[in-house]
Amino acid sequence: MQNNDYLEKRFSKNPDMVFRQIADECLLVPIRHLTADLDYIYVLNPVAGRIWELIDGQRQVRDIADQIAAEFEVSPQEAAKDLVELLGQLQEIGGVKEI
Amino acid sequence: MGCAHLPETRYSELSQRLKAQAAASRIPISGDVELTARCNLRCVHCFINQPVGDKVVRGQELSFTEWARLIDKVVAAGCLWLLISGGEPLVRPDFLDIYSYAKERGLLITLFTNGTLLTPEIADHLARWRPFSVEVTIYGHTRKTYEAVTGVPGSFDRCRRGIQLLLERHLPVTLKTMLLTLNAPELEDMIAWAQGLGVQFRFDSMVGPRLDGSTQPCGYRLPAEQVVALDLSDKERSREWRKLFRNNRSELATMELFQCGAGRSGFYIDASGVLSLCIMVREPGIPLTRNSFKAGWEGVLLEARQQQRPEESPCVTCAWLKLCSQCPGWGLAEQGSLEGVSEYVCRTTQLRAAVFDANHHP
Repeated sequence: MQNNDYLEKRFSKNPDMVFRQIADECLLVPIRHLTADLDYIYVLNPVAGRIWELIDGQRQVRDIADQIAAEFEVSPQEAAKDLVELLGQLQEIGGVKEI
Repeated sequence: MGCAHLPETRYSELSQRLKAQAAASRIPISGDVELTARCNLRCVHCFINQPVGDKVVRGQELSFTEWARLIDKVVAAGCLWLLISGGEPLVRPDFLDIYSYAKERGLLITLFTNGTLLTPEIADHLARWRPFSVEVTIYGHTRKTYEAVTGVPGSFDRCRRGIQLLLERHLPVTLKTMLLTLNAPELEDMIAWAQGLGVQFRFDSMVGPRLDGSTQPCGYRLPAEQVVALDLSDKERSREWRKLFRNNRSELATMELFQCGAGRSGFYIDASGVLSLCIMVREPGIPLTRNSFKAGWEGVLLEARQQQRPEESPCVTCAWLKLCSQCPGWGLAEQGSLEGVSEYVCRTTQLRAAVFDANHHP
């Protein structure tokens, strides 16, 4: 089970990352500073793409995990575990920040 | 549910995958926009350039607001790669506004420019809002040759300064040239120039008529024999052509008129907002000021894209169609019809086949 404190956190998206859904791909395109290397276009899988849509600075991590669990038919614990991992990766690339 | 994560994907793999999906599902993933037909240079071979101060031509150009609206439409339709060209796009005082707007929508932008209007301020802006690529056309290695092509004194130095401004900011620059009778003797020097700067270089030698029908540029075109001799004079180019001829023989008759991505995954929008298949095939054209992009893409352009070759066309059974520059654009430019065949293009390919195809039987 994830730490309750973490599940209560809220994250906001970096406005300098643009989410694009093209064909079957979900892309995060950095529009400033970060694109020093063409490899810095990030590909999200469909679940991660949906999570990106749900991150709004208002929802807590727990709310997003519950929503993902309901939409993708997995346990809230599993959803929370994946979500925490993704949020860590998104923080690393400057895609989201804790508020 | 697959776990939510950021897969490690290299750009080249992603690009290939996206292009294949776009072609299969007919998504307009790649667009060219001509911000203006005006240019501050007067290149002898140019197919489009209008005087920079031409008020009538300027009056036909879309405003920033109109471009912003169009950019929203192409993004909604699935465009990812946007080429901004002209004319010279930097003659527009609102160039950076349009560029930044497109960047903010998540487009990967390639900019075609002659480099002469670049300033430290513009280069700084590009460094902050980094383009996918900036391609600067050079017209010669010496001032004399460069300005004999551009017709504008001082343009050579301004171009060199522009390139420097981009490189100082570590922007992704490619140099390229249109090879003409005037500058062909300087090809190797231009290649060395690019190598010295540590940037990529490419050249094109297929000069065609102007959009208005004038054949003046063709007076500066290299003879087909010289084009192939240049390929032959360079080991790497020769190896590349041999490989292409080995791997690209067309075995079956090809009836589809358009062999490229035009109208399948690519589109063109001119300075007045008219949507068409490509830079050379501007008819049919759909004015996007009065029609939606979606309707134009799914209606008129789909129909135009599906045109077939006449059975009697020599291209139908040509083994080298995949390697030939021959296309409806050349047919239109040289023969006045999409099905027309440019003798110059055909002759260049036949000569290349004679030289580079191991199995060539005349």
